[in-house]
Amino acid sequence: MDSQNPCEGEISLNQWKGGNSVREVRHGSRGGDLEMLGLSQKEIGDDDARLVYLNEPVKSNERYEFSGNSIRTSKYSAFSFLPRNLFRQFHRVAYIYFLIIAVLNQLPQLAVFGRGASIMPLAFVLSVTAVKDAYEDWRRHRSDRVENNRLAWVLVDDQFQQKKWKDIQVGEIIRIQTNETLPCDMVLLSTSEPTGVAYVQTVNLDGESNLKTRYAKQETLPRIPEKEMINGLIKCERPNRNIYGFQANMEIEGKRLSLGPSNILLRGCELKNTAWAIGVAVYCGRETKAMLNSSGASSKRSQLETLMNFETIILSVFLIVLCSIVSICAAVWLRRRRDELDILPFYRRKDFAHGDPKDFNYYGWGLEIFFTFLMSVIVFQIMIPISLYISMELVRVGQAYFMIRDMILYDEDSNSRFQCRSLNINEDLGQIKYVFSDKTGTLTENKMEFQRASIWGVDYSDGRTSSQNDPVQGSKIDGKILQPKMKVKVDPQLLELSRRGKDTKGAKNVHDFFLALAACNTIVPLVVDDRLDSTVKLLDYQGESPDEQALAYAAAAYGFMLTERTSGHIIISIQGERQRFNVLGLHEFDSDRKRMSVILGCPDKTVKVFVKGADTSMFSVIDRSLNTNIIHATEAHLQTYSSMGLRTLVIGIRELNNSEFEQWHLEFEAASTAIIGRAALLRKVASNVENSLTILGASAIEDKLQQGVPEAIESLRTAGIKVWVLTGDKQETAISIGYSSKLLTSKMTSIIINSNSKESSRKSLEDALVASKKLMIVSGTTHNTGPSDEAAVNPVALIIDGTSLVYILDSELEEQLFELASRCSVVLCCRVAPLQKAGIVSLVKNRTRDMTLSIGDGANDVSMIQMADVGVGISGREGQQAVMASDFAMGQFRFLVPLLLVHGHWNYQRMGYMILYNFYRNAVFVLILFWYVLFTSFSLTTAITEWSSMLYSIIYTALPTIVVGILDKDLSRRTLLKYPQLYGAGHRREAYNSKLFWLTMIDTLWQSVAVFFIPLYAYWASTIDGSSIGDLWTLAVVILVNLHLAMDIIRWSWISHAVIWGSIIATFICVIIIDSVPIFAGYWAIFHVAKTELFWLCLLAIVAAALIPRFVVKFLYQYYSPCDIQIAREAEKFGSPRESPNTKIETNPILGSPHG
Amino acid sequence: MKGGETSSGGGGQDDSSTAVSSRKNKKPKYSRFTQQELPACKPILTPGWVISSFIFVGIVFIPIGLASLFASEHVVEIVERYDKDCIPPDYRNNSLHYIQTSETNKTCTRTFHVPKHMKGPVFIYYELDNFYQNHRRYVKSRSDKQLRSKASEATTGTCKPEAVTSNGQPIVPCGLVAWSLFNDTYSFSIKNEALNVSKKDIAWKSDQEHKFGSDVYPKNFQSGSFIGGGKLNSSIPLSEQVDLIVWMRTAALPNFRKLYGKIERDLEANSTITVIIQNNYNTYGFGGKKKLVLSTTSWIGGKNNFLGKAYLTIGGLCLFLAVCFIFVYVLKPRPLGDPSYLSWNRNPGEHVN
Repeated sequence: MDSQNPCEGEISLNQWKGGNSVREVRHGSRGGDLEMLGLSQKEIGDDDARLVYLNEPVKSNERYEFSGNSIRTSKYSAFSFLPRNLFRQFHRVAYIYFLIIAVLNQLPQLAVFGRGASIMPLAFVLSVTAVKDAYEDWRRHRSDRVENNRLAWVLVDDQFQQKKWKDIQVGEIIRIQTNETLPCDMVLLSTSEPTGVAYVQTVNLDGESNLKTRYAKQETLPRIPEKEMINGLIKCERPNRNIYGFQANMEIEGKRLSLGPSNILLRGCELKNTAWAIGVAVYCGRETKAMLNSSGASSKRSQLETLMNFETIILSVFLIVLCSIVSICAAVWLRRRRDELDILPFYRRKDFAHGDPKDFNYYGWGLEIFFTFLMSVIVFQIMIPISLYISMELVRVGQAYFMIRDMILYDEDSNSRFQCRSLNINEDLGQIKYVFSDKTGTLTENKMEFQRASIWGVDYSDGRTSSQNDPVQGSKIDGKILQPKMKVKVDPQLLELSRRGKDTKGAKNVHDFFLALAACNTIVPLVVDDRLDSTVKLLDYQGESPDEQALAYAAAAYGFMLTERTSGHIIISIQGERQRFNVLGLHEFDSDRKRMSVILGCPDKTVKVFVKGADTSMFSVIDRSLNTNIIHATEAHLQTYSSMGLRTLVIGIRELNNSEFEQWHLEFEAASTAIIGRAALLRKVASNVENSLTILGASAIEDKLQQGVPEAIESLRTAGIKVWVLTGDKQETAISIGYSSKLLTSKMTSIIINSNSKESSRKSLEDALVASKKLMIVSGTTHNTGPSDEAAVNPVALIIDGTSLVYILDSELEEQLFELASRCSVVLCCRVAPLQKAGIVSLVKNRTRDMTLSIGDGANDVSMIQMADVGVGISGREGQQAVMASDFAMGQFRFLVPLLLVHGHWNYQRMGYMILYNFYRNAVFVLILFWYVLFTSFSLTTAITEWSSMLYSIIYTALPTIVVGILDKDLSRRTLLKYPQLYGAGHRREAYNSKLFWLTMIDTLWQSVAVFFIPLYAYWASTIDGSSIGDLWTLAVVILVNLHLAMDIIRWSWISHAVIWGSIIATFICVIIIDSVPIFAGYWAIFHVAKTELFWLCLLAIVAAALIPRFVVKFLYQYYSPCDIQIAREAEKFGSPRESPNTKIETNPILGSPHG
Repeated sequence: MKGGETSSGGGGQDDSSTAVSSRKNKKPKYSRFTQQELPACKPILTPGWVISSFIFVGIVFIPIGLASLFASEHVVEIVERYDKDCIPPDYRNNSLHYIQTSETNKTCTRTFHVPKHMKGPVFIYYELDNFYQNHRRYVKSRSDKQLRSKASEATTGTCKPEAVTSNGQPIVPCGLVAWSLFNDTYSFSIKNEALNVSKKDIAWKSDQEHKFGSDVYPKNFQSGSFIGGGKLNSSIPLSEQVDLIVWMRTAALPNFRKLYGKIERDLEANSTITVIIQNNYNTYGFGGKKKLVLSTTSWIGGKNNFLGKAYLTIGGLCLFLAVCFIFVYVLKPRPLGDPSYLSWNRNPGEHVN
């Protein structure tokens, strides 16, 4: 156990500085970390350990088992590209199908098509995908190269030399300068700070932008690696992806030191505010925690594609049926003619060329049938629309292009465009039913602003613009004026009071209040240069909590400027006068106490405890016998503040006399050096001293909502999307934000579940269910609507906290929670841990077929982003982690509205139509081939040339459907935003469902009959040859499917015209080219047949006869059973003469955003 | 995790991120294309449009149909099936033997009546039924390369089972298609005056010029033990063998006609034509029918009422639909674009969550 003592000493030091337990403040769920650390210092077994010899990379890696520091995110090299890419592509069942067909066709018995023609489609698809993959991989190669060739200072031959990142090895000693990025995971040895502290920013790792403190061991601190050799051995755990954990010990000069997560710097972090830091590399390259965590987003599949697979199976059944019919007929035909086959002029089984007549190309009745079956599979292969997969991919790329270029989705503040990181699920955006949103940074800007204060029972809320230019305020350093970086609105009356010193009673309270704000925190003040004004130095407050930052800036604005913090004291410049306060003790915030306190030794030798915390926890420790009026007034103010959605904190003070201080000091010392249960002991000490406080007042901070959030939520709700907010914040804050973002409204009935055991959770759930049912019955009877109305009239909001969820998730109570939640129009989960967020998402995802979307900005949202069907990352201030895990990334929450309602709607409509159309397009062609086979004694001749068959889905008809899939818009952006209800089309699956599929198939059958039989009867018993009628069928079917598409196009721009008519013309050209090759059987056929009037009359009759039923049905349906989209489209075109009153919605602010 | 250079900055990185933004503003440029605002026409199926388009189709189609029917009715066509009748009664039960032996006399004389005046040129066709010239085995069994040039004489790979003779010599033209060449011949006379049958222009010019070589002469053709059809004069190049060229343009359907020749004069009504048929071609083996057809032509082609009827049907249907729609529209109109028809306005509350 001797290894523990130094570690413990270290941690208590950390505590004094408030460094290590940063995470506790923001994520209550990790409260146990510290305690765990003390207890879990178990010996690392030699087998599991990695041994790193300091400054001896060769010895460290003598078994060559550690990875080097070069990283590779690319998937292929120049040599491996072809085999690996092909291997990956053939994971798709569709391609295997393609391949099998192509291989079958190579067998001489089955050679239906020529070799070239049969391989072409597969080769086309494979090469398009390969080019796309190659381009993506080339980009990854490029970024890898940049990353690997960055330079770092590495100790070589007793001096630091620049070395490329990729050459760094485990065991090497590396020196990092300020603002540099760490090349690998390393154990900190020493830093420029005498205390051995190093500040790092982990924004690239976990998305948190505040600075974290890391410590070098006291034993290694004084070493200067250039001058004296450091010999030592670090024994650490194997590489793992836990970025918050690290276990190791270090043997140095016979001493054994324990290392923890506070001693390691991770790759990807940046060193800040520390001139230099020296460390030894322990994990390199792909073994670093950053790389282990950067596994790519799991590939998702869109729901439409999943549904489509079912229809693809139906089509396969069709295909098998067609092939069976052909085989059976062929069998019967062969059987009936079995005596004639030898001499039948068009069959001639016998080959007399060489003496004895032999069977030519005949393998017996059974095999012939079998071959007929396989050949018909080859001929009818495009029944399974393989080209659809490639078209869908292209369409998604095109849709992504337009989403990225959309100016409405561009965020001015962060200069970020919309990002499509996943190209598989564009159309899912049109069917989202549940939105799970993070709160901080997503709904709100994560920019806290001090708004109001209640001091000694007086409310100061007349915030005006800043008075920063007042020179009295600026304190000076090195002859330069020191100013806080953030400007805060101040109340002039309060400012006046705060400048009056502590003469009067009122002014004294104000003084103490702001002193508490400036001192009772863990803020690290940093002095930075002002880029605009060289005479001014800016004071940047770095801290783990944005609330504390806001309070410290507020204090600074009122003249209480925290300018310096060291381990033992802080310096606060009070109205320009620098005063030194000794920080005697600091009790961290924890989620049980919900408050923090600091014990200050003031310049006037008094010792004071300043406490700030949540109102509920503070009022229990405030001495209520004193100043009753003040307490009541403050409570009233707090009520006002929270109803405005402000985050409130209550501030208290107590002066300690000597004996009290001594007693506390002893206890504190004892607790902070305790080995077991230290956290609990410290908590107890804190509770003892945080008592009988005098109230000073309360602060109110606004967590500013992002622009347009209430309107966005309103729109989403109108669109029938359920918005759930999952936040790590406390319940009160969450509810107040809920109100200010219009998530909760006064009309709603709230059900709140706060339980701390499984039993009570069960009971609350049951009660809540009963209550919600009752509410619904009330609404059902009064409004005479069915119970299926889903609490529409009297909406219910469910508010549930993380503790209750602990008992509910992963237990049998999940079902009840889901039932309850699905009755509620709003669900608010507070105090939830990141994994719980994912749990809630999966709760919904696993129980419904509805689509879920998660939106968040921080590392804590990653799990839920990955869990949901669609993950959206906000590329805001909290770094890139959420963006990296997301499928789509954007700058603001409000962009969700145009993304879902406009782009999602469009994408869904387009993709749904495109799938149906592609099914139709291929099936109609296959059916025409099939009908012809019935007239060729089932021998699978095609009148349409093999080249036309292959080009059909590549050239003749491919482009229009892709262009329509990218460009067609059923409704304008304005209409879609005006009537968010139109989004319901996606929920009701209006664009693609099995009814539509079957209708389309019936239409397909009719159209194929029209195309085939009109020429058949027109040319029956005539001199028509196969090639000519084949050309007629080719042109007829191409014109037909293109006109079919033209009939369904909603917006005809010049591009649509170009592709539709262009495709038809291209087909004519291709047919002409094919018929210009003298060795093809169809030489010059098109010119002969096109000279006859009959040909053109047939074309006209085919098109008319084939399209009339569809046209009639379409018109009747649109006119007499119009869907919402249809009416909206008409309204768009003709205006709406009788706008009904309840559809008047103000022009959406989302639309009104700047338009360039 | 691409280090810091790609991240667009967090709170502490203001310096770098603003520097980046001043260097490179990522705001998408406005264009009507990228904002999907290209000018476009948005047609909507209004009743007016639909009714008038149906009327239009009806008005266009009915005259076309009438014209086609008229043209078709004006075509005079004489169809004479002779495969059965040309077999002497003794051989009726053994027609196969009759056609296969060279001993029997294949000459057969038929007469028929010209019902209407036939304006010249009168086209002579033979019509085969139940003959699958589109069978896969059959259409593939030819070598277009060989037909085209002398140099490719030996490319007979696709011609099996009629590719080479028993001693390995290539057959020109090879393949089943050529082998089964139709070889009945007809000679016509009216009142003992012979009618001249012209073979000019019965084959496609394009075939004669480019597909069948002028230097390719028949070789080893029909020299095997099993004769499929006509023989060719080996001193005439393929490009001049018009009957072969016509035959080798394989028919699309199992019931087809092929042009035999033309009579370049008018045939008077009620005249009687005598035709002497050399009944050589074996269709008895598979129950095929042989017909001789004399027909005039029109712009619509031969005699076929189908298309005319189809046009009349479609046109009539369109007019009928137009009338129905007018009726329905008058009885039950719906104002277009009326928001009160929107689902959430029809039964309020359904979508308001």
